Amino acid sequence: MDFIVNLASGFMNLFTLGGEQFMSWVTGIIPTILMLLVLMNAIIALAGQERVNKLATICTSNPLLRYAVLPFVSAFMLGNPMALSMGKFMPEFYKPCYYASATCHCHTNSGIFPHINASEIFIYLGIANGITTLGLDTTPLAICYLLVGIVCNFISGWATEITTKMVEKQQGVHLSRELKTAA
Amino acid sequence: MAKYRSIKFEKGGGGFGGPLLITPTEKRNKVMFITGGGAEPECLPKIIELSGLVPVNGFQTNCPEDELALVIIDCGGTLRCGIYPQKRIPTINTNPVGKSGPLAQFITEDIYVSSVTSRQISLAEGEEATIAESSRADVEAEGITKSIESASSENQSENVKFTADKKVSETLAAQKNKSIVTRIGLVAGKFVATFNQAARDAIQTCITTLLPFMAFVSMLIGIINGSGFGDAFASLLSPLAGNIFGLLILGIICSIPGLSALLGPGAVIAQIVGTLIGTEIGKGNIAPQLALPALFAINTQGACDFIPVGLGLAEAETETVEVGVVSVMYSRFATGWLRVLIAYLASFGLYTA
Repeated sequence: MDFIVNLASGFMNLFTLGGEQFMSWVTGIIPTILMLLVLMNAIIALAGQERVNKLATICTSNPLLRYAVLPFVSAFMLGNPMALSMGKFMPEFYKPCYYASATCHCHTNSGIFPHINASEIFIYLGIANGITTLGLDTTPLAICYLLVGIVCNFISGWATEITTKMVEKQQGVHLSRELKTAA
Repeated sequence: MAKYRSIKFEKGGGGFGGPLLITPTEKRNKVMFITGGGAEPECLPKIIELSGLVPVNGFQTNCPEDELALVIIDCGGTLRCGIYPQKRIPTINTNPVGKSGPLAQFITEDIYVSSVTSRQISLAEGEEATIAESSRADVEAEGITKSIESASSENQSENVKFTADKKVSETLAAQKNKSIVTRIGLVAGKFVATFNQAARDAIQTCITTLLPFMAFVSMLIGIINGSGFGDAFASLLSPLAGNIFGLLILGIICSIPGLSALLGPGAVIAQIVGTLIGTEIGKGNIAPQLALPALFAINTQGACDFIPVGLGLAEAETETVEVGVVSVMYSRFATGWLRVLIAYLASFGLYTA
């Protein structure tokens, strides 16, 4: 009998622990993220996608703008996955490179701006929670994530130009480096 | 040249629904606007110019429902935005409002489009050719206002039944030039509606994506911690995530081409591993300083599963997709460990007081 009781209470304990975890997240994480989401959504709605489009056409010319500035702004304004659609303003050759950079921007900036990638936020939050448990502030982590992210994502985007050239040779195709004028 | 032309509406920034195709007929030829206390919405002149619809001010008059081809509203998400969709009358909202209000279930993409300005309006395909360039230029110069005036006067003489019960809005709408008060009212209304919709979206995000994932991971954590699996897991994970070499290895493994695509979907695996590492950091088994490189290490596979879709969003051609899928996987593999290393170097001084 004792065995069954222990088994049952042990079983229930698993879910009590889970429930406690859930409640601590709901009360600790949700309110702040919710307020941020409201403001960010409003800013995005007020600024509009057209301004981002305009920026995108300017940014195609140089690597720094292409893999650091444009994906950063797109991720902030459009979030995941719509930030990737800004690649349409690039010549074909640069589209994979922009993709490589923009997808990373959707993660590295989400520490400070959770609205960018709310559904995958736990990559950051999961780890950041450990910092919170230790009683430390997560802001330095979020800022470093963003700053290191900009550098790394730029490298990732640029490196993809090299791998794209490689794959081009492998597959025997040549992607256009020029932007098609008649779209 | 046909008197009426089909026009197409796309949703604007932050909008919902659409694209909506409106084809006026001899009978269904009215566009009713119920906006800003009777003020004309910004998009109205373009609608009239392109489609040939007759405008009706909903605050001044009534119009039989079977004559309505289109309704323009500026509802902030309470009641109005659902009324006409419920009656299956195509509705465009000048505010960025999605499914909301008590009639939210009737607001669907095929009957409703929001956040519409004149930029979202175009002639339907196949209709472009019917407009002569010259006539178009004429209209653009000054004909727009004229056409509205003539259309509305025609309106008043033939088609319109006045109802006398809307006094305030009637007087407001009668003003040719909107007063400052009206203007402020309109701007404030737009502002409030935008924020209200932003809040609605935020809550929606919480309910549909954040809370379910929290519940799922919480349950896993409960089981892992409660059953003693956690300690076993920690002894497996700590040597891997507890030092830079382990993290580099983790990063390289996650980014192996092919494997990276399997690890990708929904970033679920990365999120769970992240949570587990976080738990270990919380317990003190892993130095907090390593949180930064760990963030990069668990995500070196980032979005490798999503390449075709993502490139599709960028309107890439088929060969670009073929090249891109392989290329991005290679570049993830080539730069993944580098990202971890850079993050590690940047993490010196973090949380080491």
